[in-house]
Parts: sequence; C-alpha cells; structure tokens
Amino acid sequence: MGGPAASRRGALRRGLDGLYLAAGALAGLFLAGIAVTIVAQIVARQLGGTIDSTETAGFCLAASTFLGLAYAFRRGAHIRVTLLIGRAPAGPRRWLELWCVAFSIAAVAYFLWWSVDFVWFSWKFDEISPGLMAIPLWIPRSAMAVGAAVFLVALVDEFVSILRGEVPSYEANAEHILESGE
Amino acid sequence: MSDPGTVAIVLFAVMGLLLASGVWVAVALTAVGFVAMHFFSPAPAGSLLASTVWDASWNWALTALPLFIWMGEILFRTRLSEDMFRGLSPVVGRLPGGLLHVNILGCGVMAAVAGSSAVTCATIGRMSVPELTRRGYDERLIIGTLTGSGTLGLLIPPSIMLIVYGVVAQVSISRLFIAGVVPGVMLIALFMGYVAIRAKLDPSLAPPFEERLTWRETLARSRLLIPVTLLIFLVIGSIYGGYATPTEAATMGVIGALILAAWSRTLNLASFMDALMAAVRTSTMIALILAGAAFLSISMGFTGVPRVIAAEVKTWNLSAWELLAVLTLLYIVLGCFLDGVSMMVLTASVVLPMVKDAGIDLLWFGIFTVIVVEMAQITPPVGFNLFVLQGLTGRDILKVTRASMPFFGLMVLGIVIITVFPGIVTAPVGWMISR
Repeated sequence: MGGPAASRRGALRRGLDGLYLAAGALAGLFLAGIAVTIVAQIVARQLGGTIDSTETAGFCLAASTFLGLAYAFRRGAHIRVTLLIGRAPAGPRRWLELWCVAFSIAAVAYFLWWSVDFVWFSWKFDEISPGLMAIPLWIPRSAMAVGAAVFLVALVDEFVSILRGEVPSYEANAEHILESGE
Repeated sequence: MSDPGTVAIVLFAVMGLLLASGVWVAVALTAVGFVAMHFFSPAPAGSLLASTVWDASWNWALTALPLFIWMGEILFRTRLSEDMFRGLSPVVGRLPGGLLHVNILGCGVMAAVAGSSAVTCATIGRMSVPELTRRGYDERLIIGTLTGSGTLGLLIPPSIMLIVYGVVAQVSISRLFIAGVVPGVMLIALFMGYVAIRAKLDPSLAPPFEERLTWRETLARSRLLIPVTLLIFLVIGSIYGGYATPTEAATMGVIGALILAAWSRTLNLASFMDALMAAVRTSTMIALILAGAAFLSISMGFTGVPRVIAAEVKTWNLSAWELLAVLTLLYIVLGCFLDGVSMMVLTASVVLPMVKDAGIDLLWFGIFTVIVVEMAQITPPVGFNLFVLQGLTGRDILKVTRASMPFFGLMVLGIVIITVFPGIVTAPVGWMISR
C-alpha cells in the first residue's frame, strides 16, 4: 500500500494512538493506586504504623484525571450538548466540529502554558506538600502539565483528521450503551 | 469595573453559545471562568487557573469518586443483573403488579452500586423488557418503571451525584450518603405503591404470576441476592457506623466487587482491565468538569455576579418555599438541555449562596437537588433514560416520555414530602454514630 509517505503516516498514526493509550494506561494505574494507598494506610494502622494516604491518594487522583484526558477524549467520554450539533447536516456539522476542536485547542494550550509555569515555580521555590510525606509539589503537579500536553496533541490530531474529512474519533469510538455489554 | 448586571448577561450569553455549539462542558466552564476573570476582574487569570484547577483535582473528598465508579464497572461485568432478576422475581411476583416491581427494585439496587442511571436502565431493561412483554405486561408501565427507577441511582448511596454535590457545596459526603438513604427508599415505595394501585384497579395491566415455586425454591433463588446486599451494607454500614471515610468505604467496595466477580467466575484480566479503563473515562470526565467548575466559581466570586443575583432575588421577597419552587422550575428547564453533573456545577456558584441566605440547610438542599436532577433525566429533549428506553423498545421518544410522566409526578410528590417533613432527610444523620 502507498509509498513511503503513506507508511510514514501509518507510523505517525500508530505512534499517536500509542501515546494516548499509554497515558490512559498510566491513568488506570494511578486510579488503582488510590485504592492501593488506602489499603496500605488501613493495614499500617492495624500494625501500629502510620502511612498518610490523604495526600498520596489525592496525587494519584490528579495524575489519573490529567493523564486520562486524551484517552477519554478519543473515546468520546467527555460530555457536551449535542442537541444542535447532532441534528446538523453533514456540511455545517463538519464546520461546527472544527469550531469545537479549535476552541478547545486554544483553551487547552492556554491552560498548558500556565500549568508549566505553575510547575516551574513550585520547583524553583521548592514547594513541599503539607502532610507527613513532605513531597516536593512539582512532582505530582507535573502530571497536570504532561496530561494537558498529551490532550493538546490529541486535539490537534483531531483537528487535522476532521479537516481531512474523517469522522471525529470521539464520535466513531463513542460507546453506545445499547450496543455494548453482552 | 463594569456593572455586574451587564457582566452576568455577557457571561450567560457566552456560556449559552459555547454549550449550544457543542463545545465540551468542562472546556466551556473553564472558558467562561476565563472571560469573567480576565475581562471583568483585576485578578491574574492564568496563574489562578493553574492553581485552582490543581487544588480542585487533588481534593481528598473527591478520591471516593473514581473508586465508586470502578466498583460499579466491576459489578456490571458480573452476572449481577441476571441474578437480580431471578432472585427478585419469586419474591415480588405475587404482589399486585407482579414483575414490574422487579424493574423498580432491580434498578434501585443496581443503581445503588453503579451510580449511573442510563447504564442501569439499559442493563436491567435489556433483560426485563423482552421478559415482561412476552408475559403480556402493559407496555407503558414497563417503560415507565424503568425510566423512573433508573434515576434512583443518583440518590441511593454510594451515589456519584452526591459526591459531586458534596465537593461543590463543601458538605460532608458521609452525611450526604446517610441523608440519601431514607428519601431513596421512600421513592422506591412511592413507585411500588403506584404500580400496585394501578394493577389492582386494572388487572389487565399485569398478568398473574404463573411460576409456581415451593418455599425451598424461592429461598434458593433469593440467595442470589445475598452477595450484592452484603456489599451494599458493608459500604453504607461502615460509613454510617463511623468506621470508614467514604474513600475507605469505596476501597472496600472495590475489593468486595472483585471478590464477587471472582466468585461468579466473571473476573479475568480482560474484564478487569475493561472495568478499570471504563472507570478512568468516566472519572476523568467528571473530575475535569469539577475542576473547570471550581475555576468558574472563583471567577464568578471576583466579578460579584452571584452577590448581585442573590441581592436581586432577595428583593423579590420569596419565602423559602417559593425559592425552592423557583429553583425546581429552573432545574427542570435546565434539565431539558443539560445532564445532571453539568447542571449542578453550573448553577452552584450562584444558587448555593442564595440558598444559604434563605436559611435552607445545605445538606437537605443536596438531597433536594439530586431528586430534581433525577427528574431532569426523564424530561425531553435531553433525558438520558428516555434515549435508552427508546433504543431498547423502538418506541418513539414521545411515547416513552408519556409513559414516564406518572413517575415524574411521583418525584414531584417526593419533593413535596421532604419539604414538608425535612426530618426524613436530616434525622438519620443525627443518629450517626460519630461525626
């Protein structure tokens, strides 16, 4: 199939999909991590030790949320009002989708910029978490910047696909309650 | 800066435009927050955006949310819904209305462990719609019981919606969970009572229960209900008894759900990963909306809009009753276009101060809001349960809506009851063992 250009494109597609999936898998790991830190705390309490899971559970939650952004986006999990867009004919609909994605690109890019600034300052001023663990805050906070960056890549990727006339991934991969399940 | 009245109009217009054009809810909330702060306040929008979103994202109270979602996802991949149908049918089959009660109770229990009403509706409905239709039950009651009781999951703990409210309104989630139990049971009783009365008045709506089971068989079948009942009691009981925080209870729920799945031989690597990743998708979606809403509400505070609106409403001299009636109407209208979580977080920054001002208990108001949001799930044109039943039965949305209206009415009745007797909500919280 195709020349080197097409195969390069295939490699790029696979690479990007791999990136979203890897970030999503990390999000899953951190979600399970919340439960793991809670179990560790309960066990430690029984044994007379102290593990403060309030902070670590919170950090896992934040990491899970931000790293999962792009993955959830591609799978159509983020909600929106489809009352108008769902009824628009194919032509105008494509323009509406482009508007939605372009607007989100601007918003996420802005957010990414300030997240990086936020992480940079917590590193520069050595901010430490208030709990027992005294974790340098730039570590958990960088999950926010990394997640936003992957999300931004996914949005740009989406914009290009829609421009090329493809069905948006968040529509194509969305779960429809009735088709899923046994 | 500018006059807050004008600011409010500009912000509502931007919000309406973004949402209507299909921009994702979380992005729209954040963007409106940015407009409010950047153009109508002297505060630095960028750095406050990053720090507010971060603070909202690692909130301890919120850590229970992904775990409860995960627990529900694990249970959905077990044979729970089949067991529920087989276990409940001999128990309720002899009541007037027969197997229609399976819809109500099944949805109630299922929704309790899952917290998402559309999925509950679909899971129970996929099994019960063909069964009940084959036996000649009235179609409108089949549809109505499913759309109506599918919404119970929003209220009966562990409920995702109550966690969202607790985080937004800064009310203890443990207390909200306890407060949700009695009104949830009350709504189930109202639904069952309504079905029983309808079936008594017109026996053609529900054929008699033909399965003849001995006591021994009934008992054997209802044993299927034990594991899930135990799990619910474990989770709610540990919170009620003050033994566990909601996050700890949710962790036990996840472990319990995994054990249950292993016991029913539906747990394998694929189903485990499926459930975990499904939980990631839902919890990411909700957490992002909450982060956006946190930023919006801080921005709104800077603009002074909520104060102005609250002051304006104050000049109307509404009694607490009238205020609640107005809010009910507002939520029902909003519910025609928005889903529950978005509705709740969108209105919080304006509505909560107003409610507090009127001397209404925020704990009670949480339960009230959730029931109203439940009603919104069955109002067209955007009512997720309606879509689900439309897909399952192939009937058009008008027919499904008409079938659901009696249950909508029963929820209105439920709201009136908890307003007249607020003790239904608040008294059990007072009996909690600690806190």
